[in-house]
Amino acid sequence: MRKDADNVVPKVEEGPSHQALKFFFTPVDEPKPDVENHYAKSTTHLPEVVAALREQFPDAVDENIHEYAGEQTVFVDKAHIVDVCRFLKEEQSFVYLSDIGGVDRFTDEDRFEVFYNLVSFEKRKRIRVKVRVDEEDLDVPSVTGVYRAANWSEREVFDMLGIRFTEHPDLRRMYMPEDFEYYPQRKEFPQLGIPGSLPLPPQTPEGELQYDPFPAAHGRLTPKSYEEPVSKYDGEDD
Amino acid sequence: MSAKPSFAAADLGQAFRFWPRHNEAIYDRLESKHAWLEERHDDTSDAEDPLENEMILNIGPQHPATHGVLRCVVKMDGETIEKSVLDIGYLHRGIEKLAESKSYQEFMPYTDRMDYLSPYSNNVAWCLVVEKLANIEVPERAQWIRMIMCELARISSHLLWLGVGLMDAGAVSVFLWAFKGREDLYNIFDEVAGARFTVSHSRIGGLASDVSPTALAMIRDFVDSFGDDVDGWEDFLNRNRLWIDRNKDVGTITREEAVELGLTGANLRASGEPYDIRRFEPYLRYEDVDFDIPIREEGDSLARYFVRMEEMKESLRIIRQCLDRLPEGSIRTDDAKLAYPSKDEVYYSMEGMIHDFLYTDVGVAPPKGAYCYSAIESPKGELGWYLESDGTGNPWRARLNAPSFANLQGLEYIMEGSLVADTVILIGSLDPVMGEADK
Amino acid sequence: MASNSAFNEGFLTTRVDVVLNWARSNSLMPMPMGLACCAIEMMAFAGPKYDAARFGSEAMRFSPRQADLMIVAGWVSYKMAHAVRRVWDQMADPKWCIAMGACASTGGMHRCYGVVQGCDNFLPVDVYVAGCPPRPEAVVHALMDIQEKIRNEYSVAQDYVDGSQLPASQDPGTGLLGQTP
Repeated sequence: MRKDADNVVPKVEEGPSHQALKFFFTPVDEPKPDVENHYAKSTTHLPEVVAALREQFPDAVDENIHEYAGEQTVFVDKAHIVDVCRFLKEEQSFVYLSDIGGVDRFTDEDRFEVFYNLVSFEKRKRIRVKVRVDEEDLDVPSVTGVYRAANWSEREVFDMLGIRFTEHPDLRRMYMPEDFEYYPQRKEFPQLGIPGSLPLPPQTPEGELQYDPFPAAHGRLTPKSYEEPVSKYDGEDD
Repeated sequence: MSAKPSFAAADLGQAFRFWPRHNEAIYDRLESKHAWLEERHDDTSDAEDPLENEMILNIGPQHPATHGVLRCVVKMDGETIEKSVLDIGYLHRGIEKLAESKSYQEFMPYTDRMDYLSPYSNNVAWCLVVEKLANIEVPERAQWIRMIMCELARISSHLLWLGVGLMDAGAVSVFLWAFKGREDLYNIFDEVAGARFTVSHSRIGGLASDVSPTALAMIRDFVDSFGDDVDGWEDFLNRNRLWIDRNKDVGTITREEAVELGLTGANLRASGEPYDIRRFEPYLRYEDVDFDIPIREEGDSLARYFVRMEEMKESLRIIRQCLDRLPEGSIRTDDAKLAYPSKDEVYYSMEGMIHDFLYTDVGVAPPKGAYCYSAIESPKGELGWYLESDGTGNPWRARLNAPSFANLQGLEYIMEGSLVADTVILIGSLDPVMGEADK
Repeated sequence: MASNSAFNEGFLTTRVDVVLNWARSNSLMPMPMGLACCAIEMMAFAGPKYDAARFGSEAMRFSPRQADLMIVAGWVSYKMAHAVRRVWDQMADPKWCIAMGACASTGGMHRCYGVVQGCDNFLPVDVYVAGCPPRPEAVVHALMDIQEKIRNEYSVAQDYVDGSQLPASQDPGTGLLGQTP
């Protein structure tokens, strides 16, 4: 009996996955909050914190609480974010700042979002606070006064998306050198970068900086760092 | 040559000296930072006596001890560091931008290369966040195997931390022992996943392939023999006068400071804050497994060392329990819209083949506008992904919350006031990985 | 051009060449430009199982002045490229370069704005190693390739042409088949 005999016989089981093919990649427009998510955890379900926030800041906190996979996200007005963070840190014991990040929604209005991921050890809760930023007015108050850990994360949001954080002690670029003039994470920035935006070192120690590492792609000769010896067969036919 | 573009950086020509505007900004920041020590001498730059001068030293980006490419610009008064500015980004790739053009499964190899000391953890982190967003249920066996492999990756990462940290401190033989241990782990990963190192074994919805009995036997052998190895190293190091002197009271961080600075992982636990995602927000099957979280109160490098050594032993304990409780079953979810169908189905049924093609082409498509955050406890700390979907098979925004990023932010603060010779120990004990810090 | 002069590929100079190349190839001191995950495999390559020391590369010299082989291990970002080039310039001749891994050779899987698509855009690479990361055996093979390349070099023979000394890299010299320029 051949050893791969059991490989010859298909082990297909009859099951619900072999029904007629349904096109599944048509996007469903609204996520359904009532479908049970296996990964929903109690740490992100915090109705009492949300209620306390609404009570304290009735005009700053948006009425819609986005909820998905058991996670609640609170949308806050840009101008009040420092107060909200201070309230959360001091009154609600969300002492640990896990992450700040930016999202480019690429809409006409309120193009960017900045989210703040805060953790409370005492209550075992994690909350996400989101701020919507318009492209016309890219200034967001910095929360480094409340959370010192926000320093680098806000610099990274500035570097990648161009959102300026006012009263940040040190708003420089995080990853790209200061000489770089674009904001890479924005949707219109091409994935391969803008040719010439970052200079490369020269091919020889005395050479000039290269701005175009792919001259061959643009119809120019590739500079070489050696010189080929002249062949005595050059110029002969065939 | 090539045409010169017309923006500011292009006018430099011969005067280009390693990103001039960038370095100007760094040195300005260094000057304007509040000095940790008192300003002992005013107007020090004109002082004639070199003993009165303060020196600016660049450690990195190419340096044997910076754990990758990390640049520390340090202003020193003698041997004491007054102010320091960390410059990262020398390994920046833009993987968050790359993620927006890849499907969820295609992005798996990129996650390997982030925290490249423990690639399996990153795979699992990405799988978990996609499964959370798309609500994919993973079978039991896959979850237990993922746990085993994650803990093996934790041991692997801590081994490298130990070896490289001690090599930087001067003890090269520990590096060789650690790498011998890592080679055993590489053999296990090779047997399970086919690659030594950057495995992409975890698939969305489960695993790529099942672990063979050979692999399980190898894991058992490793677990049985590794405990003695760790005990041997601890005997060597725990009461070693040199090691203790090098590490005791170096880089002490109090519990409040650690939380304030946003440190994560073993650094936070060595300062007394018991924050471990495996207990805080249990994922996989960590609720069903019995393990302790090592915590120390002192917060110096020695405490971080002890915490990581004990974490290795706890990992062994977890792996033993997982091996005993490993259930039989499938290793990938059955729904072919959410996970790859098995190869049998692909080869022998039409629906399987079509699903395979469609899954590679488009893949999982979570609901439009949905976003979520999911974190795991990687060996470095809290590794989280914020994932937002736009209804297609590619993520709209995949944002990595890298533990090394947060730890390095704390390093900038910790270095001020310590000696220059401790820089190496500090970087080693905080254990950053530049691949994930720089994204 | 006196093609039969005593200093031009005669018996003496080729024997000296053989000795010189033997010495150079068997005592390569790598300068590990370990940037990313390939650096871990490079450490494994220097580690106990795949020992680089048995090829003479015992000392991983992190100082460029003391090294003659630069192993670029990992992707080079645009920001880092200048540092790498500066380190390369600081190395003394003769020097060789291994581009280890897919990322150092061509940018690898990282086809995006931050990564230089191959360190050969600014470095003269001698050997490219494929893999992501390449197994340490592949790096050993690359090291052996460099050794073979060194063994086939004309070091002394081209340095002395008609009494004038030119370093081998800049001398148009004689071609491999003995042609004169």
